Formats: sequence, C-alpha cells, structure tokens
Amino acid sequence: MAATSLSKSLYARRRSTNFVAMLLAMGAAVFGLFWLFAILGTLFWNGFSAIDLAIFTQNTPAPGSAGGLANAIIGSLAMTLIATLVGTPIGIMAGTYLAEYGKKSVLASVIRFINDILLSAPSIIIGLFVYVIFVLQVGHFSGWAGSLALSFLVIPVVVRTSEDMLNLVPTGLREAAAALGAPRWKVVAFIAYKAARNGMITGVLLAIARISGETAPLLFTSLNNQFGGSGFFSFWSSDMNAPMANLPVAIFQMALSPYEDWQRLAWGGSLLITVAILALNIAARGLAALTSKGN
Amino acid sequence: MNAELASLATGQPSNVDAALSAKIDIRNLNFFYDKFHALKDINLKLQTGKVTAFIGPSGCGKSTLLRVLNRIYDLYPKLRAEGEVLFDGENILAPGQDLNLLRARIGMVFQKPTPFPMSIYDNVAFGIRLYEKLSKLELDGRIEAALRRAALWDEVKDKLHQSGLGLSGGQQQRLCIARSVAVKPEVILLDEPCSALDPISTAKIEELIDELKQDYTIAIVTHNMQQAARTSDYTAFMYLGQLIEFSPTQQVFTNPREKRTQDYITGRFG
Amino acid sequence: MVNQAADPSGAKHIVQSFDDDMNGLTSKIIQMGGFAERQVADAVEALVNRDIVSASRVIERDKEVDHFEEEIDQDVIRILAMRQPMAVDLRIITMALKISNDLERTSDYAVSIAKRAQRLADHPEFAAMNQVRRISEQAIGMVKDVLDAFVDRDVEKATDVWNRDQELDRNYTSLFRELITYMLEDPRRISQCIDLLFIAKNLERIGDHATNIAEKINYMMLGSSINQPRRD
Repeated sequence: MAATSLSKSLYARRRSTNFVAMLLAMGAAVFGLFWLFAILGTLFWNGFSAIDLAIFTQNTPAPGSAGGLANAIIGSLAMTLIATLVGTPIGIMAGTYLAEYGKKSVLASVIRFINDILLSAPSIIIGLFVYVIFVLQVGHFSGWAGSLALSFLVIPVVVRTSEDMLNLVPTGLREAAAALGAPRWKVVAFIAYKAARNGMITGVLLAIARISGETAPLLFTSLNNQFGGSGFFSFWSSDMNAPMANLPVAIFQMALSPYEDWQRLAWGGSLLITVAILALNIAARGLAALTSKGN
Repeated sequence: MNAELASLATGQPSNVDAALSAKIDIRNLNFFYDKFHALKDINLKLQTGKVTAFIGPSGCGKSTLLRVLNRIYDLYPKLRAEGEVLFDGENILAPGQDLNLLRARIGMVFQKPTPFPMSIYDNVAFGIRLYEKLSKLELDGRIEAALRRAALWDEVKDKLHQSGLGLSGGQQQRLCIARSVAVKPEVILLDEPCSALDPISTAKIEELIDELKQDYTIAIVTHNMQQAARTSDYTAFMYLGQLIEFSPTQQVFTNPREKRTQDYITGRFG
Repeated sequence: MVNQAADPSGAKHIVQSFDDDMNGLTSKIIQMGGFAERQVADAVEALVNRDIVSASRVIERDKEVDHFEEEIDQDVIRILAMRQPMAVDLRIITMALKISNDLERTSDYAVSIAKRAQRLADHPEFAAMNQVRRISEQAIGMVKDVLDAFVDRDVEKATDVWNRDQELDRNYTSLFRELITYMLEDPRRISQCIDLLFIAKNLERIGDHATNIAEKINYMMLGSSINQPRRD
C-alpha cells in the first residue's frame, strides 16, 4: 500500500533524519560515559597505590606518620550494620502495611507521601535533624547518633522497595492462599514475602549501598575519631557511645588536608567505598534478575 | 411461593428431596461493586455431587457469583452482597462467619495457575497445615492422595521437593486442584480453570472434574461452551448480572428455553 | 432466498460463514426434496401413462439422489467438526442428516414403482389403477407439503402432514382389500395385482417418510417430539 507508493526521495530523507538522530543520541551517551570512566579511572589510578595491608590494620595516623583506615572501616561497617538492622525491619513492616493492609486508605496515602519526601530529602537535613534531637540532647557526637541518622536513610528506601515488590506479587497468589482458608497474616508471611523475597533483599542492598557512601549526615552525628580507642585492638571495642570514625568523613577531612600522605589515604578510602558500593549494586542486580527469571 | 414461605417459617423444607440435595442454595442474591449492581436477584441451587456450569459473555457476573460463594470478595473493600447463600442450610453471608474456615470448606481454583513459590510438596501441604497437625507420615500420605486425585502423582513423585513453578501450565493447574482437594473441601469452585491450558491438559482436567464430582459439589465457570456441555450436569446462563436460564445441561445445549440463551450458545447476535 | 440458517427470530450468526454453511445445507435439502418429489410424481406418471421410457429415466436419476445424500452427509460432518453447533443449529444439522435419509428412501420407492410400471405397461388397463392414482396423489401431496413446511419452518403445516398419514393408511388398507378381491375373482390377474399391491405399499411407505420428516421438522423447530393424539 503506502510502502509501494512511497517516493524514493521521501524515503531517503527519512533515512538520513534517522541517521542524524541516532548519531546525536550516541554522542550524548558517549559524552556521559566518558566522564563516568574518567572518574573511575582517576579513582583507580590514585587509589590502588594507596591500598596496602596497613590501610586495613592501622588506625588513621597523625599527619606525617604511617597509618591506615582501620578505625574508619570498622566504624563505617558498624554504623552501616546497625542502621541496616534497625532500618530494615521497620521499613519492611511499613512497606507491608502499605502494600497489604493500608493500600488506598488515607493513612497509607499520607505515609506514602511522607516516605517519598524522606526518600528525596537531602541527607544533610537528616543529619541536622538527628543532631538536634539526639546529639544536642546527649551532649556529644556518637556512633549511635551516626547509626540513627543512617537508619533514617535506610527506612524510606526499604519501605518503597518492599511495597513495590509486594505489589508485584500477583493478586491471584494471595487469593489462592486465602481461598485455601489461610488467614491474612499467613498469606503475607508465607506467600507474599516468599514471592517478593528477592526483590525485598535487593531493596535492602540498595539501601546499604546508599548509606555506605553518605558523608553529610555523619558530619553532624558521629563526626570522626581520628585515633579510635587506644592500644592495638582498640577498634574491636569501638565505643558506639563516643564519636566514631567512618570512611566518608575520614575521606572528607583527609582529602581536604594539605598533607600528602593523608590525601593518599583518602584516595584509598574512596576506592574501597566505590568497590563496596559497586559490589552491592551488582549483587542487587543479580538478585533482581533472579527474581524476574523465577517469575 | 406460599409453600416456600410456610416452609421458611417452620424451618421445614417444602420439598424434602430438593432441600436434601441442594449443597448451596442461593436466594435473592444481589452483589455490588461499590455502586455497580453486578448480580441481580440470583436464585439458584447447587446440587450435591453434581457439576453446575456457569456460562455467559464476559462481564455477565458468573465469576462474581463464584467469588461470592467462598466470600473471597471480602478481601477487597467496597464490595458487598445482599440476600442469602445457604451452605448446608447456613447463611454464609450472615455476619460473624469464620471466613477462613468457610474457605477451607469451599475450595477454589482460579483461571491462571497459581502455584506458590515453594516446592510441590509444600504447595499441597500449605493448606493442610493450616488446619491440621499431622505427623510427617500422615502428611506424606495426604499429599500423595491429593496428587493422585489430581492425576499428577506419576508426573511429580520423583521431584516433590522441586519448585512448583517448574511445572508446565497444565501440571501447575492440576497442582492447584490437588492443593484444593488436599484440604478436603465439600465444594470446589473452578473459575475458568482451563482457559490458559492446551487441549491435552484441558482434557485431563475435565476427566478430573468427572472423577471429583463423586465426592464434591462442583461449580465451574467457563467460556468454552463445549466444556460446559461435556462436564456439567446443570448449566446456568447469565447475562448482564441476571440468571437467564438454569436447566439440566442437556436441555440448555439442545433446546434452551430462553431466546437469549439460544442466541448466546449458537453464536448469534444478541 | 430467505435466510434459512436464521432461527425463527431472524438473528444471524456472528460468524457469517456459519450462516452460509447453514444456508447451503438447507438449500441442498430443499433441492434434494424437490428432486425426490419429482421422482415419485414421474414414476406414478409413467405407471399411469404406461410410459416405459420415462420410467427408465426415473430409475436412471436415482443416482443423483444418492449423490445429494452423500453431499449432505459430508456437509453435515464438516459443519459438526468445524462449528460445534449448539441448540437450534445442532437440531437443524442433525435433522438435515436424517431428512436426507428419508428423501433418499423416498426416491428408492419411486424407483421401485418405476420398475413395476415398466412391467405393468405390457398388461391391459385395469380398474384398480384409479385407486392407486388417488393414493399416489395423497402421498405426493404429503411429500410436497412437508417440503414446504421445511422451507417455511412451518411447524403447523408439518403437523398437518403428520396427521394426514392416517388417511393414507386407511386408503392403502382399502386398496389392499380391493386388490385381494380382484385376485380371488380372476387368478390370471394375480401377478398384475401383486405389482400394484407393492406399488401401493411403496406409496404408503413414501407417506411414512413424509411423516418422519414432519416429525423431524417439529423437533428441529421446537426441540420436542409431536405430542398430540392423531386426529381422526
């Protein structure tokens, strides 16, 4: 029909338009990717040389002396772990409420709205908030305060992903379980969670990835503790109640310092965080792929 | 009508035979999706040990009717049913019903196979474990019996602990039937159970329906007229939320009383 | 032509080719019926006119009726397999199969009459012939009317044909007695009378088949058998 009566010139023009559009799109993509690789390249170039055994075993040093990031790594791990342990169950329960019980109710809509705001709130505001309600009350910075701030970042991510993943569970599955006589909570606990499990774990991993690189909220809460405790094993018993070292803040302070060995450590720390986040993201993607294959 | 009123007053059925054989007695049932009047004054009896088929164009309310019978509609807000549905004489629409217990007695199989994301064994065990505490041995026996009942045992006996999601569509649907049968319901509701299946799987399920009706009262919604004709003893034709005709299946498909039934089953313009 | 596939209300199938199939089937039945009716009429005509040639033409044409029946068989099987007809469609299609069988038998009787007509042409004219002609008119009238009833989907007309069978039976019985009397009177006429007797029997059977068709039309349209006492 149309194809047969299509004039050659019109066809040629369309082809050339298509070609130009494709070229522009590819150019934009290459431009974006270039900077991404430039960043990663610089990071690896400068970071690799900083990574040695000492970075994992020694505490942050005074300028000019040898040292590592052990206390910052442990601090980051500890605070991330605690924030995850606190934030995940709360997030999952809230997500479950939204997906399974609240649904379109007013309360659920309000929670969802607030959660979305929380999700996109600048993290420094979270830090400031915890500073006011916790740090100021207690009177000093602490690892607990840092964990608290991070858990506020975990919760909205987990709420959102849990709800989304539970919403993806086919209604038919819930109906089938209910039709066998299963009470509501059993349907949720044994059927919906099982079906949404991988997606929900993915959400938690993404939340961990998000908080493990956060600097701003920690500046107001755990601050830094350059020397950790005292003695060789001091970091094993890092005091959550005291200001606590962590990678992002350590990087922030060291990178801005005039001391070259500190700057070197900052590069090393940056690489460590980047690799960790990369690993988490890949794990999350893998799980997501597994989930979609399972369905 | 008067006799019926009198029988209601005395609690004695006017026709003993009919009352004895009606497993589910639907009386003046109306159903609303919020403001939409989906079922209009339905009166119908599902006979014990018989298969009743529901046919009608999409949106005629046949699936809705099925979903009233086990009150699965209760999962959603803004839906409500009026009238009476007597299940062994007890009105299941009355307040204070234990819906979970009711659903354990009235099983349902859905249009799309819905295997749970767990092993074949656990799929069948799920429903049993809800209401019974059985020893491992007893449970194994029940599961085997249910899978045999659903003509699935021979195909899955060597992979009971593999995921139910790995089965073919037809096998999944039979797994769902096994799951329903395993809890020993009295009534089984089938909501277009073969619409997603190939002819061989469909034939197996139809054969199964034939088997099952010796022990269960069955209601089946289907778009496949031949399937209704083959599997059922009684057929109800519904149109726009109303029950147009309810007769023995043979009559409906050879000589329906209502013109609208005839137009529908012969594929004519309504 | 009227839409034969439509049910009495005139509604058409959503699938138009289904209507075409049904129309094709019914028009074949009508053609075959007209053909069978002509066979009977021609055979009786050949008998009355002592016309051997037209009698042999009747015998010759029986093949065509058989051919019609074969075609209708195939159509019916194809429609059953393709359309899975229900209700009135199912009844029309299955009854078409049976009606075509009745028509084929009717033509067979016409052939039988034609064969005897060939033999009787050698014999002198015979008084009982008038009576035979009367029966034949009745039988042919029944075939004609039952085919009209089929075309018009007219249950009343079909019932009327069904009722007329008794009259034909009575006339056949009286002719039977008459012919027996002739045979007793004049044994030389026995073979001639026997031929006429068989012809009468054939016409009576043709009436029976017309009655069968009437019953089938009734079932086709109403889904039930004719349930009224035969009027006297």
